[in-house]
Amino acid sequence: MNFWETITGSDITREWKAFETRAATLPDDYRVAWEQIKGHLLPRADFTGRNLMPILDAAMGLLEQAAADGQRVGEVLGDDIAGFAAALAGGEGARTYRDRWREQLNRNVARRLSRLGG
Amino acid sequence: MSIHDIIEGKKQWRAHLARVKALPPDYRIVYKEMQKYLFKVGPVDLPDGPLLPGIVDFFEEGVAAGKGVVELIGTDVAAFCDGLIEGSPTYADLYQESLSEKPGTAER
Amino acid sequence: MDDLTEMLKGTLEGCVLEIIGSEETYGYAITRRLNDLGFADVIEGTVYTILLRLERNGLVQVTKRPSEVGPPRKFYALNEAGRDELAKFWAKWQYVSTRIDRLKEGRR
Repeated sequence: MNFWETITGSDITREWKAFETRAATLPDDYRVAWEQIKGHLLPRADFTGRNLMPILDAAMGLLEQAAADGQRVGEVLGDDIAGFAAALAGGEGARTYRDRWREQLNRNVARRLSRLGG
Repeated sequence: MSIHDIIEGKKQWRAHLARVKALPPDYRIVYKEMQKYLFKVGPVDLPDGPLLPGIVDFFEEGVAAGKGVVELIGTDVAAFCDGLIEGSPTYADLYQESLSEKPGTAER
Repeated sequence: MDDLTEMLKGTLEGCVLEIIGSEETYGYAITRRLNDLGFADVIEGTVYTILLRLERNGLVQVTKRPSEVGPPRKFYALNEAGRDELAKFWAKWQYVSTRIDRLKEGRR
């Protein structure tokens, strides 16, 4: 039995359906990443998945925006989806991952600003 | 959330993006990278709270004063972002909290 | 003096409270005031994050006023809770600084 079938409660089911509708509008590579993120996060959920909803919502928001900006999915998530998912959920390993996001942010800004200055 | 809320939300979001687009290139670059970082870290009030529009307000003031973005916030953009969300709980915090609650006391 | 960032952490918020406490003012003016005091490394971005925190914690009253140049500015004034917080800051500062001075004077 997969996770989806264990879900009870119609409000939760509706929320899941809304996620799938949003996912369907994403480019292919983003949809693959979304499936991977879900795959890493769902084993962490309690039996309703309720406490993961906001985290999934934030992840979906990030994907939607990056896709709208025309970025490649790898640019946004890096190549370690498992680490990315762990960091989204907090807990073990999240701190080092957030440090990596921090460095990535400053590096990206420095690189793109220097390109701008010519 | 009703359909109307979703559309309203989108309209507001589009208006917000239009303001971002109107910023000078250096501000725009920094804003976009910040937004990506903030969405990953995930403070709970990010999507509809005052944080992102507030950043644009602040940046517009910087532009009006004739400053570059680096002059305004320095090169450690991550430290600036962390300063913005210091003390705000993130989704990860709430999730970890929900895990540490005793079984039976958690919501449903 | 260079490299005060680490040492100023935690006290800068008190300094901002003190500046706001003496008169209603805005971010750039607060930054200038700190720079003139000799904290040359303090940038507007840092002050912005502090003001945001003060606002979130309900310590200040914020009023938007039109500016001669550019978009309206947010002016900050202390409310009752802010004045309490400022008094607490000075009490803590007094406590820490007298003890550190004592430590230094006892040096042989």
